[in-house]
Amino acid sequence: MKSSALGALGIAIFLALWEVVGRTGLAGISWPPLSDVLETLTDASRLPLFQRALSATLASTALGYAWGTTAGLALAALAHLLPPLRRGSDRLAAVLNSVPSIALGPIFLVLVSRESTPAAVSSIHVFFIVFVSVSAGLQRATPAHRDLFSVLGADRFRRFGRLELPAALPALVSGLRLAWPAALIGAIIGEWFGAPRGIGILIINAMQNFQIVLLWCAVLLAVGSSLFFYGLLTLLERAAYRRFG
Amino acid sequence: MRPFLLRPFLLRIIEDYWGILLLLIAWESWVVLSRVNVIVMPTPTAVLGDLAAHPGVYLDNVGSTLLVSLFGLVVGMAVGTGLAVAAWFSPLAAGLLNPLTVLFSSVPVVALIPVIARLLGYDTSTVLAIVVIITFFPSFVFASSGLRQPPPGSEDLFRVLGASRLDLLRRLALPAALPNLAIAFKLAAAHAILAAMVAEFLMGTSGLGYLFAKTKADFQTEQAFGASAVATIISASAFLAAGWVEKRVRERYS
Repeated sequence: MKSSALGALGIAIFLALWEVVGRTGLAGISWPPLSDVLETLTDASRLPLFQRALSATLASTALGYAWGTTAGLALAALAHLLPPLRRGSDRLAAVLNSVPSIALGPIFLVLVSRESTPAAVSSIHVFFIVFVSVSAGLQRATPAHRDLFSVLGADRFRRFGRLELPAALPALVSGLRLAWPAALIGAIIGEWFGAPRGIGILIINAMQNFQIVLLWCAVLLAVGSSLFFYGLLTLLERAAYRRFG
Repeated sequence: MRPFLLRPFLLRIIEDYWGILLLLIAWESWVVLSRVNVIVMPTPTAVLGDLAAHPGVYLDNVGSTLLVSLFGLVVGMAVGTGLAVAAWFSPLAAGLLNPLTVLFSSVPVVALIPVIARLLGYDTSTVLAIVVIITFFPSFVFASSGLRQPPPGSEDLFRVLGASRLDLLRRLALPAALPNLAIAFKLAAAHAILAAMVAEFLMGTSGLGYLFAKTKADFQTEQAFGASAVATIISASAFLAAGWVEKRVRERYS
């Protein structure tokens, strides 16, 4: 209990410092006080703007999250069931993860529509994290369990479905937790390439028009939604570890 | 020495790189077959041709991106490790810092680039700041947990032999944290270059990200893709090299 009180104190000190720096103008006009930002954020006339942007970005993030998870799971399962493909799929995933997100934007702009580009960029980020964590998780079943399944006459597909996949679930959920902020980043970068609306568009517009408070609002929205889902997935992760860990 | 055999060599290449080869072949044939405009989407061979034709343009920008990523990586890891040591010394600092780092590790850092640019200016210092931030979190988190996990019993031995808190840090906790720091290095190295590139893309002063933004705006798509290809290769090699370092450190210190 003492550590959580200290933690709350740490966050409170951080927020207070932010307000003080903004009020005194220590960091110049680019650092507005927290209270100003919150006021704009909760301003009724701005609410529709923020709502549209946030829902567009969250929709892209969720879609990219689903695509990326499916692709990551599929490649990890394929590499696990067909060992000769393993080294090549590791390398493919590592290289895909090394492609700069700003280069993915223009590629997906041609491959899919302008509206789907944010989701597609975000799916690449998610794909790598899910692939790596599931690949590691599939190795977690103990040799004794494997032998037991073999003795009882299970082929590798049945062993995969009944033993290895359940054993990989905690790793998958850990991966899913880490993948959410990455998915959000992908969606925001993807939006820079001509999406009609979203947090990424809001950030870029506010930056180019020097609307400082609006810029901070957009950043807070991104951070807040990221924290919310990250917390939710942390709860899910704990449940998964209790059941399958 | 074994004789060089072509067949096993080719098999090995296919085994290691089938995914990447398939991707490149699919890309090339798709551009050719769908007759998509080469300004919109160049073929991999065209990109390769541009890389061979203008190595100077790429080298200049690679230099500045590498320099800023490397410097940022060093500073970020130093700050992260330093704060982890502070948290190791003082439970108060640990209590204050831990939730903040958890908070920040889930923050989409890319969203902070425009804010930092407003504070530091639209130049290389912002790129540096982004790299420092992105490498700081993994090093703090991994160094903290590493400092707290010395081999069982070793801490008692040090106490019995009358080691001071500083000795304990220097001779036990820090060496014990090295494998963890190496993991942080592996995670941070590949990301440092990619984060630098996104920041350069927005700042538009120098580097591979700047080259990408400029050439794309001028419809020199081949060069834009060339810049991305170079960044991909550097980032993937950084990941592999850091993985090699991590393995060596793990073997030596644990």
